[in-house]
Amino acid sequence: MGGAPASYVGVSGVGDDHRAFLDATLPHVDVVFQVARHAAGDGQEPEDLVQETYLRAYAAFGSYRGENTRAWLAAICLNAARSDARRRRRRPQEVPAQALLDALPAAGDCGAPDVADVVIAGLDAQAVSRCLALLPEPQRVCVVMMDVAGYTARETAEVLGCPRGTVLARVHRGRRRLAGLLAEAGVAHGRP
Amino acid sequence: MDGHDWQLAAFLAGDLDAADVVRWDEHLLECERCWRAVRDDRSGRAAAQLLRQPAPAGLGDRVRLAVELAAAGAASWRQPRRAVRPRRRALAGAGALAAGLVVAAVVLLPGGRAALPAPVAAVARYAQTLPPPASHPERGTGRGAVPIEVGQPVTLAAGGRRIVTRKWRMGAAEVVVAVSGRPFPMPPGAQGASGGGMAWSARAGKLSLYCLNGKTSELVAAPVPPAELARLAARLPPP
Repeated sequence: MGGAPASYVGVSGVGDDHRAFLDATLPHVDVVFQVARHAAGDGQEPEDLVQETYLRAYAAFGSYRGENTRAWLAAICLNAARSDARRRRRRPQEVPAQALLDALPAAGDCGAPDVADVVIAGLDAQAVSRCLALLPEPQRVCVVMMDVAGYTARETAEVLGCPRGTVLARVHRGRRRLAGLLAEAGVAHGRP
Repeated sequence: MDGHDWQLAAFLAGDLDAADVVRWDEHLLECERCWRAVRDDRSGRAAAQLLRQPAPAGLGDRVRLAVELAAAGAASWRQPRRAVRPRRRALAGAGALAAGLVVAAVVLLPGGRAALPAPVAAVARYAQTLPPPASHPERGTGRGAVPIEVGQPVTLAAGGRRIVTRKWRMGAAEVVVAVSGRPFPMPPGAQGASGGGMAWSARAGKLSLYCLNGKTSELVAAPVPPAELARLAARLPPP
């Protein structure tokens, strides 16, 4: 993470509050990026969403009490993504699960695949991302927060404003559904 | 999701006490449905973890810059605002820009730490991320090179305005071209390059700055000598 350029021009009249803000928040830019990648809507770049998140956070820094900085940033990121979606006044593009499966070769008459037998590691991240996008939003957000970004269930509950048990239930359902979608895709890919 | 599934989720999260964990371990030996649910959960988690990837290089710097610019913009609103001259005529072409720059007396702002107006400081700060031409000798001198836009336009917010910036590469040199709907204020001590405040030029640290006010205000900045900036600016496409 680079600092200010060596030949920093300098801007007069700027206080030090932004430096305190950056010291507190910049270490979490990587984890915020994980959230932003999956929260950004159509036409919105994750990097732009991260920047917007930090600008909003900076504007609210005066009232921030510093309980959990990365959870606070994630909540702002999700709110910023929702605001952007509203501003664009268009619904997120949704791909029906069947459309994805229809695009794959027929799996034939084989029985229900055993998910654990599917070599998940053999699936490319793009396929995982496509299947993740098919999850209902509450499940998807919980999976992204916990499994992609690495937040704890308690932090995720704090961000989403719901009980921790609800988060655990959602992430469990989301993981199972994700595994199921990937198994369908993996079995189909494996057939001649 | 029934109570059984809630308990399973709690088991997977490690929330159960030791006795309940033992009961669940025994249950999983006998219940195919629950065992399958456990395997699905682990498979789904492993798949999702494939999506982890580091933030792009430079994102932290970009965020830092945005916050510093926001801080600068907030500060500028707290300061007495300068009156700016109204635009009097249309934006001249790149050739006129170059000619104006060459004849301009360039003002070195002392120590590179001048009190630049916030919109100008924002562009200067952004231009300081440009590599000096010597960083890329393999690209040649740039003489005759076709301007190539680098990356996507970046919108800066400073001094209560939005500024659209673009980076252009010409051989070994890169320049920032910033366009605003309002004139860029002339920094204290900068030199008017033409009558009526239409244009001004300045130095800020290693940067050369040149501003031309027309229907829109255009500020060109690069870490090159003024004459070199004039040569580069003359070859830029119109905004």
